[in-house]
Amino acid sequence: MSTTTTVDVVGTARDRVDGRLKVMGAATYPIDVNLPGLAHAALVQSTIISGRIRDIAVDDAERAPGVVAVITHLNTPPLAIGPPTEIGPQPLPPFQSDAVLHYGQHVAMVVAETREQANSAAALVEVTYERDTPVLSFDDERATEVTHPWTPDHDRGDVSSALAEAEVRINQIYTTAENTNNPIGLFATVAVWDGDALTVHDTTQNPHGARDALAAAFGVDPAGVRILVPFVGGAFGAGLRVWPHVPLAALAARITKRPVKVVLTRAQMFTAVGHRPNTIQLLSVGASRDGLLAAIDHVSRSSIGMEGELINLVTNGSLTAYACPNVSTRARQIRQSIPIPGWMRAPGEAEGSFALESAIDELSYALNIDPIELRIKNHAHVHPDNALPWSSNALLDCYRLGAERFGWSARTPEPRSMRKMDQLVGYGMGRGALGAYQPPCKAIATIRRDGTAFVRSGGTDMGPGTYTVMSMLAADCLGVPIERVRFGLGDSAMPKAPQEGGSGFTGALGNAVHATCVSVVRAFVNLVSDDAMSPLKGCRLEGITVRNGGIQITDDPARFETYADILTRHGLDEMTIEGESAPPGETSSATMIVQEGRFIPYTPPSTGTLAHAGAFAAHFVEVNVDPDLRTIRVARVVSAVDGGRILNPKTARSQIIGGIAMGIGMALLEETVSDRTGRLVTTSLAEYVVAVNADVRDVDVLFVGEPDAMTPLGTKGIGELAITGMAAAIANAVYHATGTRFRSLPISIEKVLGLQPGH
Amino acid sequence: MKEFTFERFTQTTDAASAAAARSGAMYLAGGTTLVDLMKIDVLTPDIVIDVGPLGLSRIDVSDDAISVGAGVTNSQLAWHPVVRDRFPVLSEAILSGATTQIRNMATVAGNILQRTRCPYFRDVHASCNRRQPGSGCDALNGFNRGHAVLGVSEHCIATHPSDMCVAMIVLDADIHTMRPDGATRLIPFRNFHVAPGDTPHIEVALEHGELITHIVIPHLPAARRSHYLKVRDRASYEFALASAAVVLDLDGDTIRAARLGLGGIATTPWRATEAEQSLKGRKASDATFREAAETALAGAVAREHNHFKIELAKRAIVRAFATAREAKV
Repeated sequence: MSTTTTVDVVGTARDRVDGRLKVMGAATYPIDVNLPGLAHAALVQSTIISGRIRDIAVDDAERAPGVVAVITHLNTPPLAIGPPTEIGPQPLPPFQSDAVLHYGQHVAMVVAETREQANSAAALVEVTYERDTPVLSFDDERATEVTHPWTPDHDRGDVSSALAEAEVRINQIYTTAENTNNPIGLFATVAVWDGDALTVHDTTQNPHGARDALAAAFGVDPAGVRILVPFVGGAFGAGLRVWPHVPLAALAARITKRPVKVVLTRAQMFTAVGHRPNTIQLLSVGASRDGLLAAIDHVSRSSIGMEGELINLVTNGSLTAYACPNVSTRARQIRQSIPIPGWMRAPGEAEGSFALESAIDELSYALNIDPIELRIKNHAHVHPDNALPWSSNALLDCYRLGAERFGWSARTPEPRSMRKMDQLVGYGMGRGALGAYQPPCKAIATIRRDGTAFVRSGGTDMGPGTYTVMSMLAADCLGVPIERVRFGLGDSAMPKAPQEGGSGFTGALGNAVHATCVSVVRAFVNLVSDDAMSPLKGCRLEGITVRNGGIQITDDPARFETYADILTRHGLDEMTIEGESAPPGETSSATMIVQEGRFIPYTPPSTGTLAHAGAFAAHFVEVNVDPDLRTIRVARVVSAVDGGRILNPKTARSQIIGGIAMGIGMALLEETVSDRTGRLVTTSLAEYVVAVNADVRDVDVLFVGEPDAMTPLGTKGIGELAITGMAAAIANAVYHATGTRFRSLPISIEKVLGLQPGH
Repeated sequence: MKEFTFERFTQTTDAASAAAARSGAMYLAGGTTLVDLMKIDVLTPDIVIDVGPLGLSRIDVSDDAISVGAGVTNSQLAWHPVVRDRFPVLSEAILSGATTQIRNMATVAGNILQRTRCPYFRDVHASCNRRQPGSGCDALNGFNRGHAVLGVSEHCIATHPSDMCVAMIVLDADIHTMRPDGATRLIPFRNFHVAPGDTPHIEVALEHGELITHIVIPHLPAARRSHYLKVRDRASYEFALASAAVVLDLDGDTIRAARLGLGGIATTPWRATEAEQSLKGRKASDATFREAAETALAGAVAREHNHFKIELAKRAIVRAFATAREAKV
């Protein structure tokens, strides 16, 4: 040991630890689970939009080859709704009445020996309906407005006076379409009972939430319910709620006394696991002639199904986006006969930021001020509500460095003034932001006598790279080479983790892993502190460096001992410690942060001294618009991101690119369409058009900013950030290219031709 | 998916007679349409006959024609050096469709026989005269953004989805078939697909069991100056909103002859013959092309959501001809 320099793995660009498994097809997703005696279930869905099931004839299906059971509302016992999770209520349990509330509602489940037999028999279930008139428009007088505690009104200052007195006003309606998450991995559930104990392999982003919901549904002890989901094939929010097929699979397993598997079809993925509801937003902005914002009034109406509740924070971002003294936000939900909505990447925030960032762009043209300059002028240097300084905020760097990288200075402000070959060129930008959120999380860490570490927590990795960054983090905190670290997740028998959603998971789990690993090292320090046999005798956490699978006295490289040696001498097989993280501000106890193997005291900021900032971004977009054919292609994107401390620039960059790709889809392509009867017509990935590689061309991501002061880890949630402000940046670029302002998403070709229906 | 039996033959006549003998039999080639539609119960054959082993996969080139086996894959045809050299429009049309993976599986005959993407055709609970004769057409007053404006009827407005066929019809290809009795016949491409009229369920001029064996594309020197332009929402992997296949025979800046095919907007692969005639002897200007486009779309009938396609198609025609005009051949 000639040197005590230890290099952190965290912060370096690393491949995914599970990359090889995934590329080889060896990662087992819920859809891959097979069990002895497995029966397969197929779902029958309503073909009407609203009404009642008058009769449901199952005889033919029951007699079909291989059929084991047919389940309908007529033979389903009462199933209780699960408790609300961190982020709101669960959908209501299925098959509890004859009511049909939307197209594609599950009305029967057929269980058979093979999936083909189940599908074939499902087609034999004859349902007779009594139809009534669905509610398919916000203007329908029967459409009721929902009031619930999840989306409160907010007011700051006096908006109406400020708007009335403003020198310049923008007052427009912006609309966003229904979008559907469409992860590539079809959602699957495999359920098996053993007495009152239930094991479920399930595509979920929240194993503990699914456990609690299933325990409630069947009135059994949650301790006996185990959810397993080592891999999720994408979800984008679709796996945050316990959708009807999950308790139905468990019910089928209970009835048939066999393991039962259900896999949703692609068409069912459009109606059965939620979607981003559409919005109609009124946005008014008032400013002085020199560009200071005086008022923002943001009123949103979004659709919600005929039952249940859903947080949809469409207007939330407008509250703190700018240093504006007068802000009013209202987020309303209107009950419609639509499939039950859920959450899709930056739910509400993606839609709301489209309206706000479009309006700010419109204001920049009205004022003849550069859109970046206007945003800088109105930058919220402190939290606009409570005037506290931000725990971190590099948004101004996002604007400046992003613009530089993009070459914004080449932009000529006049619309239609830029051309490349025969194409109209437009430059546009938008501000992205996602509020801070970090729910409580637990973890457990073990160091074994063979020198390996096993750290785990019951959350999920739906694709962002949780396995990878948590392995990296544990390696640094423990001083164990990353090859000797294994991270475990996707099992509700592991310590309780929150949902992987709300961009809060890396912060929650990362801080839990960090705290837990520090506790493990502390336990070793305690073990050797009065151990005469140990070269570390008398050491304290502040004086050591962890490295090479052991502990070293920082100032004396000769005094080093491996964890394995310590465990062996003390006759221990392993050292296992549980730990947890609390939401920032809820505990103020001092802890340690680990840097380059050393332990540095960290005291969180006192409550009420800092405003917990979320993540920020500035998106810069070049679109090319064909002046005749009116096709729009996103030629270039530069996104400058303040994501706090970036644990792995490679996986983080992928996250941002994913959000940009989805933003391109939201802006230009994606629309879940139901026809005038309420029947869904976009039921495959051919009809529901997402951005493909050819639509996501030159994308550049740069990270700016510093670790956030609010938590030991200093991360910010970036999973959803990139889609916020992205659709507006594209729409703003389209305006710059064409001189036409599009306030309704997606900006489809008929709109650009000026030939959309109803116009 | 309904249960079915699977059969394979190595002789074309055996396959054809096996299919002809049973009404519930269907041919399987690349499977990119059949299997897809079987999975959603739109096609429910009792017997699936694999034509893969029949060996209809040769491309034969002569001075006056190119003969393409029915089982040649889309990829093989599109990348064939003679096709790329003599018939750019065909190569471009094929490569604008689907994805590499699908083109590697899909066959030429399968492409010709592919079915519409109309969402009501694909939903067994919807009314569709094409799928279930006499049941009505939910597309007429439904979501019809992707639907046809040419060759439509009060019974069906489903779009023919193929790109390749638009090039084939412009090149005056001939479809060669074998009947169950071993007799062969030739069907000119433009007579092969049948507009819906009041029998939308009759889509092609094949008898049950009749098997496409090969396609013959006559040599057309002018086709070196040809182009396929496809307009769609996203940049790749989507069916056309409107497409134009053009061949331009120029004498200086005067049009000696022109050919025009249209896709994405018609119930069959569409040949705009009248527009072609109108171009003869005219100056190859954008204004001339626009006039031809007006002629080509004169009979278009739009529904609620597809009105934009008429103007879009006209612009696609102008752009396709203008691109062909500028091509260095």
